[in-house]
Amino acid sequence: MSASGLDSFGFRPWSYPAHRPRSPWQLLALVGLFMTSPCTAQEHAAPRDVSPRTTAERELGPIGRLLASARPGDTVRVPAGTYREHLQIDKPVTLVADGAVTIDGGGSGDIIEIVAPDVTIRGFVIRNTGIDLDQENAAIRVLAPRVTLESNVLQDILFGIDLRESPDSRIIANTIGGKRLDIARRGDGLRLWRADRGIIEGNRIHDGRDAILWYSSGVIVRGNTAHDCRYGLHLMFSDDVTITDNELTGNSVGVYLMYSTGVTLMGNRLLKNRGPSGYGIGLKETDRFTVRNNLIAGNRSGVYLDGSPFTDAQPGIFESNTVAYNDVGFTILPSSRGNEIVGNNFIDNIDQVAVAGRGSLDGNRFWKGERGNFWSDYTGYDQNNDGIGDFVHESQTLFENLMDKRPALRLFLFSPAQQAIEFVGRAIPAVRPEPKFTDEVPLMRPLPLPTWTPDVPPSHFPILIAGGSLLAIGVSMLALGYERRRSGDGSSGEKPARGAA
Amino acid sequence: MSTVIPAAVAFASRRPPSMASNTFCIARRELRDALKSRWFVLYTLAFVVLGLAVSFVSAAGTGGTGFSGFGRTTAGLVNLILLVVPLMALTAGAATIASDRERGMLAYLLSQPVSPVEVLLGKYIGLGASLLAAISLGLGACALILSWRGGVSSPQTILWLAGLSFVLALGMLSVGVMISSLTRRASAAVGVAIFVWLTLVFGSDLALMAGAVALHLRINELFALALLNPLQVFKMWSLHAIDANLDVLGPAGLYAVEEYGRSLHAIFAASLTTWIAIPLVVSSIVLARKSPL
Repeated sequence: MSASGLDSFGFRPWSYPAHRPRSPWQLLALVGLFMTSPCTAQEHAAPRDVSPRTTAERELGPIGRLLASARPGDTVRVPAGTYREHLQIDKPVTLVADGAVTIDGGGSGDIIEIVAPDVTIRGFVIRNTGIDLDQENAAIRVLAPRVTLESNVLQDILFGIDLRESPDSRIIANTIGGKRLDIARRGDGLRLWRADRGIIEGNRIHDGRDAILWYSSGVIVRGNTAHDCRYGLHLMFSDDVTITDNELTGNSVGVYLMYSTGVTLMGNRLLKNRGPSGYGIGLKETDRFTVRNNLIAGNRSGVYLDGSPFTDAQPGIFESNTVAYNDVGFTILPSSRGNEIVGNNFIDNIDQVAVAGRGSLDGNRFWKGERGNFWSDYTGYDQNNDGIGDFVHESQTLFENLMDKRPALRLFLFSPAQQAIEFVGRAIPAVRPEPKFTDEVPLMRPLPLPTWTPDVPPSHFPILIAGGSLLAIGVSMLALGYERRRSGDGSSGEKPARGAA
Repeated sequence: MSTVIPAAVAFASRRPPSMASNTFCIARRELRDALKSRWFVLYTLAFVVLGLAVSFVSAAGTGGTGFSGFGRTTAGLVNLILLVVPLMALTAGAATIASDRERGMLAYLLSQPVSPVEVLLGKYIGLGASLLAAISLGLGACALILSWRGGVSSPQTILWLAGLSFVLALGMLSVGVMISSLTRRASAAVGVAIFVWLTLVFGSDLALMAGAVALHLRINELFALALLNPLQVFKMWSLHAIDANLDVLGPAGLYAVEEYGRSLHAIFAASLTTWIAIPLVVSSIVLARKSPL
């Protein structure tokens, strides 16, 4: 950790565009942007300059005293118990919880600060940081390379794990639970800042803002879950990151890739990410990405493509994904050109592919060679049984088209009026819209669906009960109506009644 | 038309019957007549068969992935309910008083010691019960199909749909009864009812869409206008109740959730209650004031 490195934090907004200039013009534009709008610069809150306090400045607690007497390379075992203290680790040690150890920050400041390389922290419960967004109160702040944080439980924290200039670190099997604050007042559950080649594996993050990678390349993100966060995983200027087998559920956005190159997303499950800008995967000005074998379901928009790929040099690859039950399968801004979306399942998205704004999807391919996608709304047939539909799949429903142009009309979804409009669109060529895209070789059968077992295996019993009780209500109404005689009113049968009249 | 007579005579000969027992008596007669009517049987059959088809087809789409999105099943059922239930309720309501009037039944009924309001309420409750039968049979059968086919949507979904359909049916029935009380001939009443149905199902939505595009309505205005249509209210309410959010309905839905949040249930309930109460009040005034014959 060098002083100059820390200094740069304070001026981060200036170094941020300069780090990865795409062209002199863009650099100029970005600098101009930041000069004219300081708020924008503030929004991507940079790690602030936190001058590490020396141990001498603090009163040492029990763990602090253990650390003070340890030599570099030692393993420090902390006996079970609850400790209310703030730690600074300034030598390469392994800190292990011996039993159930809770370190409580007492609701103020950071809790653990690591300023020496090669530190390991394993098995602690660390809870209750301050809530000062300005100070970015974190459970574990790391200012040195090669740390290992393993099997810790972080509860009730503003920022969880905050790595600054900490390459080659490993963050394994931690649970990070943020404070349930309003989203604007939350901190990042996990933040990597210039921490290349990290491994983030098997963590569970919830109720935070983002798990975010800033300028951290070559990171592997594997088998994590994130739910109820803003962005389950957020990449800023982080290249060649591999993101596999994660489950990102119920966030605002599952994975948001911004300004990053060479990212691979494989085997992830992106489910029910909703809200005004709820996306399973968002891609903003991202290049050379591969999205393969993911399950993208129940999101407001499964995939959101904004200016990606950014350069036309290499196509963005979407392959073997299942995009199902989203409000919109793919939302594509016309600025996105050069994607190859081939061999995916598009199943029952209300709007399979939407164009956001004026323009067309001409620059993107939905089929290649003899292979297209599976579209659940494909209406053609396959006479020669080669698994490929005999007719081109063209997406041209009138209502979808209206909806893309005027999102307010989504209010009329699921109504008979919507179907009336679609019928008109089919029946009258004059109002039939231009096809949004075509797939000349649509698949007749879906590709193998990803296996996914929900947390709670669905039971058929409750709905059986519901159906049964509804039927019972219906039958009892029928019985009430068809009943011939009523007690105390013996002569009210049909024929005697007529006689009486 | 027969059973009410001895009942009323019997009641009259003993002691002045209470309003509740008169109303109940007429309600039972109305329910019995409704269940025997060809229309009721046809509508119910159509509802059950179409509902089964929707459930069957949509459950097939989930193909063992284990999730059933709100998407197909519920959307299909909502669509079906929006088409069939209002039609059923409007025509049932429209036929009732006007046809009694035509056949002289209304005059006969009112010559008994029953008030016009009792007749009206009795008919309303009886027809309401018949609609409840149709809705619960239809959706109950759908639930059985869904549990069998494994397109598991939660039981809450189907119960909410049934409950809200019933509230919608009560509103539309109320409008039908009002049409009936204002019209001399049964055929005219049913004609007007079908026109109203067309307007609510297609006309008002299409007009609102055109308005949104042409007049650049703001989303709050669009949402407010949509609240006037009981069918839209039913749809939004079901989405809100089942999915706990309205963001599937785009900006207007997001606006509604942001702006009204928890009170949305109350807003939707208020709207549908108004559709039940006001036409009923109007028809009771018409029946009580004017010569009902």
